[in-house]
This record gives sequence, structure tokens and C-alpha cells, in this order.
Amino acid sequence: MQPKLKSKVRCADREVGEVTRIIVDPLSREVSHIVVGDGAGALERQVPAAQVQTVTEDAVHLRNTASEMAQFPAFKRDDYVTIREVEIAHLEDHLHVEPGEVLVPVPELERDVKRRTFFTNFTHAIGVLLALPLVFPVLKYLMKPMYAPFDNRWIKIGNVKKIKTDDIGVQFKFKKNVKEAFMPEAEIDKNVWMLKASPAVLETVYKGKDMEFKDPTGQVVWTNKRDFPYVVYSGKCPHLGCGYKWRSHKLLGQVFLCPCHLSIYDASGKVLEGPAPRPLDPLPIRVAANGDVEIIDVEYKAGVKSQVRIV
Amino acid sequence: MNGQPTVLGKVIAFVDERVGLKTLQAKMLNEPVPGGSRWAYVFGSVLLFVFIMQAVTGVLLMFYYVPSADHAYASTQYILHEVDYGWFILSFHFWGSSAMVVIVFAHMSQVFLWGAYKKPRELVWLMGLGLFGLVMAFGFTGYLLPWDQRAYWATTVGVEIIDEIPVVGDFLSRFVKGGPTPGQMTLSRFFVIHVMILPAALMALAGLHLFLFRKAGPAGPFRGSEEELKAKTDYFFPRQVWKDIVAMGVVFVTICILAFIEPVALLEEATPDPGDYLPEPEWYFLFLFQLLRLKIFAGEFGQFIGAVALPAAFVLLLAALPFLDRSPERNIFKRPLALISWLVVTMGIVLFTVSAIVNREFLE
Repeated sequence: MQPKLKSKVRCADREVGEVTRIIVDPLSREVSHIVVGDGAGALERQVPAAQVQTVTEDAVHLRNTASEMAQFPAFKRDDYVTIREVEIAHLEDHLHVEPGEVLVPVPELERDVKRRTFFTNFTHAIGVLLALPLVFPVLKYLMKPMYAPFDNRWIKIGNVKKIKTDDIGVQFKFKKNVKEAFMPEAEIDKNVWMLKASPAVLETVYKGKDMEFKDPTGQVVWTNKRDFPYVVYSGKCPHLGCGYKWRSHKLLGQVFLCPCHLSIYDASGKVLEGPAPRPLDPLPIRVAANGDVEIIDVEYKAGVKSQVRIV
Repeated sequence: MNGQPTVLGKVIAFVDERVGLKTLQAKMLNEPVPGGSRWAYVFGSVLLFVFIMQAVTGVLLMFYYVPSADHAYASTQYILHEVDYGWFILSFHFWGSSAMVVIVFAHMSQVFLWGAYKKPRELVWLMGLGLFGLVMAFGFTGYLLPWDQRAYWATTVGVEIIDEIPVVGDFLSRFVKGGPTPGQMTLSRFFVIHVMILPAALMALAGLHLFLFRKAGPAGPFRGSEEELKAKTDYFFPRQVWKDIVAMGVVFVTICILAFIEPVALLEEATPDPGDYLPEPEWYFLFLFQLLRLKIFAGEFGQFIGAVALPAAFVLLLAALPFLDRSPERNIFKRPLALISWLVVTMGIVLFTVSAIVNREFLE
């Protein structure tokens, strides 16, 4: 039992006053001292909790005699703050020093209310019913621009005259017009890599089969013939979508190298080194009689083994 | 001072009677710090300070910034080159984000090494982990806003990583991008996440973090008898507040100096052709970037392991930490596994970051 405020304090021989204050250790959160006063505002003494022998309902019994009270130091109020002025975690859980309980009556209407749990659940249910119809519209609202139809426009990127040597990657930069939602039509810069492929390289690219490009319905949009000598690769690295370059490598010779995560591809787009999960992506290409090159700017998802078209 | 209350005194008394400010202030400041104030405890307060500075500079930037693909770059350049002190506000915001990441790391390390995540502070640690996620999300979304090449490519690679998440990856990355490829919708989304959603989430979570921290109380040092701790205990005010303020001052001056020496300079405007730019994320994501260059993370599955599974497992491990490590021992020198893990992770991050920087030379 903890000492209570206003309890009588009895020494081994006689009563010396009452508990006027209680001092708590902020670390252990246990009562460390009781302050004993005569209730008349005279000198208060600070008695260690160890001196307390027993605590009864209305009195605190100390081990020492009344004459020995003088050995305890006088209580200095300025050395302390009240527990209202200081934050000590879980202090209230440890202390029961009130001089009895302080009560407030429950309002008349709240007495004997039945079905409290029912009302609680009912409140939650109404909340859910209010929120539920919003989920779908909000989701659709946010999803509006996520899925766009594939763009199968042919874009002119340059002329084959730019290519002088077989099996050498040549960059073609081009402008693409994009119209996004409410925005005015804008021109963005893009690039692809093209090469005039030798039969050996063509064989690696097409593996003896024509390459078909489809739209979402499965309808074939264009077919790259397996013996057509010009190959154009999407400028997007199939690893994580950076832009790669045609570079000379100390050991591997002339290669496509992506500066981001160092994927290396040969002229046929095959992965020679690095983390890329699949070869470079050939794009639909057609070349006019005068050498003008047109492509469909197909874009595939990066990071996956198979080609998953997203644009 | 002869017993006559001044007008100001009366006003203060009037407000205090209605608000209870003095009690509140007393409660805030009179928090016992077991074992006394320490420099090691400054990081939480400094983070709060840097966040407030980020909010202030962020609001100032919004006076001129326009989050649209055709004006974001121009308005950022306008802030940098035309608006008085615009370069300073933007550079402060930029370096402040780096400071935030560094101090979050220091704060988490301190709590980890001091064993302060243990019972009864498990939830404080969890909220802190959530805040760490928010800080990284702030960095990632804010990076796109200037709409230059650096911004565009960091985002392009970043959202591709979201795509690697099994089952929901495609939906999530399209949801974040607002389309199949980065563009205006991505900019709009990152903007609203950066300036509305993340700040609100951070304020709520930081409030909860602080509330739970005050409820559990500070952990104090990991060694020393109860008597020794008691003898050294002081209140949050003034000694700890003083140390916090000094630390805030040091961080503030450091950010200012960095903003002066290395002000933000934009690259070319964002476009899907990288030109001569070698894409790279912000320095605090560099170690992850470098990690993905490793051979063991090659291919579709390897990439999933490196980009998604490994980071997710690490964060989950951190979240589970207070529930796995239930020994009450807090002394770091008696927790060899914890000490070694911290050293390995820290050195790993440093090593990968440095090697990413060294790698740059070979790419030129």
C-alpha cells in the first residue's frame, strides 16, 4: 500500500503529524520520500520511504521515534516541481496517492443506456456506407490517364544515307509530336539506333523468322521481313529504360553500352554483359525508295524477359 | 516590479487562464532526460527543424513554380536566374533534402546503437521507420519537379523499378506515372504528392512519433547504475535544448554554405532523348543504383531480387527488429550481432556509393 496524502504519521512512540506531500523518484517512478508536517504550516521534514514500516488505511507508521524526526532534512519546496509541470512517462500508472477519489456524476440520460455496442457498431457502419460509394469514383478519377491506346503512327527519322558501314550502330534523333490530355501538342526529342546489318547479324536478330508487331486486339500492324537489311532498335534500354550508346569497349570491341547499369549488347542487340533481361528491341521500320526511314515508335516495358508493349 | 502587474503581464495571465500555456510549456520543457543531456540526442530535434525549413522554402518556391511540362523548367530557371535570392531559396531546399537524409541516417543509427527501439519503444521505432520512408519519398518526388534531364531520367529509372513489383507492379507504376510513360501526368502527380500528401502524412506521423516518444519517455544511456543516472539527470530545458539549438545552427550554416558554394544548376530541359547526359539518381539512391549493376542481380528475376525484394526485406527486417530482438540488453558493446550488422550495412552503403562515383570516370 502506498502512503496517502493527509494520512496520520505515527512514529514508534507517538503521532507527529500528517503526510503533506509525496515525493516520487522520476526514474523508478516509486515513492522515494514522504513529507511530514504538523498541518499547521510549521516546519515540514522529508522522510525517506525506507523509514516507513507499515501503511494502514489512515496512518503511516515510521520506524524512528518522534525525537529522531529532527535528523531528517527540512523540506525545501523550491527543489521540486509538481507532476503537472513535468512529463514523466506512465507516472499515473504507478501512483495512488490521492486522498480518496474525486468523482463526477454521470449525466442522468447516460445512465442505464442499453445497446452501447450496437450504437458503436452502427456509427461505424454508417461511416463505411458514406465512404464506400466514393471508392470507385475516386479510383476511376485517378486512373483516367493510365491506359492509352497504342500509337501506331509512322514517324520519319532520317535517311539511310547517313549509314556508311555495315553492323555499326548509328543514332537517329527525331522529334515526336505528343498530345497529352489537356496540354497543347508538344514536340519531344527521342532517339533510336539503326544499323545496316550483315546477313549474320540479321540471322541473330530475326532467327530466320519475320517479326510481327501487333496492337492490343492481336491484329498485325506491321511485319519486319527477316531479309530486310536495315534494323532499328528502340532507344530505351530494356533493363531499366535509360538511353544507351554505341561505344568501343576494351575487350568486346564496338558495342551498345548503357551507362546506367552497364548492360552491353552487340550489333544484333544480344546481351553480352550486364543485368539486361532481354536483347534490344527492334522497331517496325520501312525505307522509301529515296532512302527516307520511317518507324513506329513502339515502346516495351523494361526489366522483363519478354516484350510487353506499353506505347 | 512592486506588485503592480504590467499590461503585458495581464495579457499573458488572460491568455494563460484560457489556454493553460504555462502548464503546457512546463510539461514540454520539464522532461527528465535520464543520465543527462547529450549531443547524441540532438538528431530528432534537428530533423524537425530541417523539415520546417523545407516547408518554408518549399512554400516560397511555389510562388513562382508551375507544375506543367511546358512551364516547370522555365519557371525553375526563372527562380534560379531572375527572382531575387531565388537561387538561394532553391539551393537551400535542395541541400536541405540531402541534410534530411543524412540526419535521418544519424538518428536511426543512434537509436539502433543505443538499443532505444526496445520495449517499451517499439511503436516509436515503427513510426520512425514510416517517417524514413516519407523522407525518401520526398526526395524521389521532389527530384522530378525541376523537369530537367537529371530529373526526368532519375524518375524514368525509379518508376521502372516500381514496375518490377510482382502482380501489382504494372498497375502501380502506371498509377504513379499517370500513363504508360513519364510526362505531364507524372509531373502533376509527383507535385501533389510532394507538396500536399507527403507533408500532411509527415506532420501526422511525426506528431504520433513525438507523442509516443513522450509517453514512453527517453531511453537514456545504455550503461550506468540507476544511482549514477539519477545523479546526472536533467530536464530537456535548458541543457538539451541548448545542445539541440547549437546542432540546428551548425546544420543551418552548413546548408547555407553548400547552397553558396554549390547552388543548383539545371541541365537541359527534360526529354526522352538523354543526349550526352549519363543518367544517375540523387546521391542517396546511388548505392541502390550501383547495386543493380551487379551480375547477381541480372535478368528479370535477379532484377526483382535486387530492386524490390532486397530493399523490401531490409525494411521489413528493420520493422520486425524490436519484436525479434527482445533481450533487454541495450549496451551496444554487449550486442555484437547488432554492432556488426550496423557496421556491415553502413560500410556497404558507403562502399557502393563510392564505387558508383568512381565508376563515373570509366563512363566518360
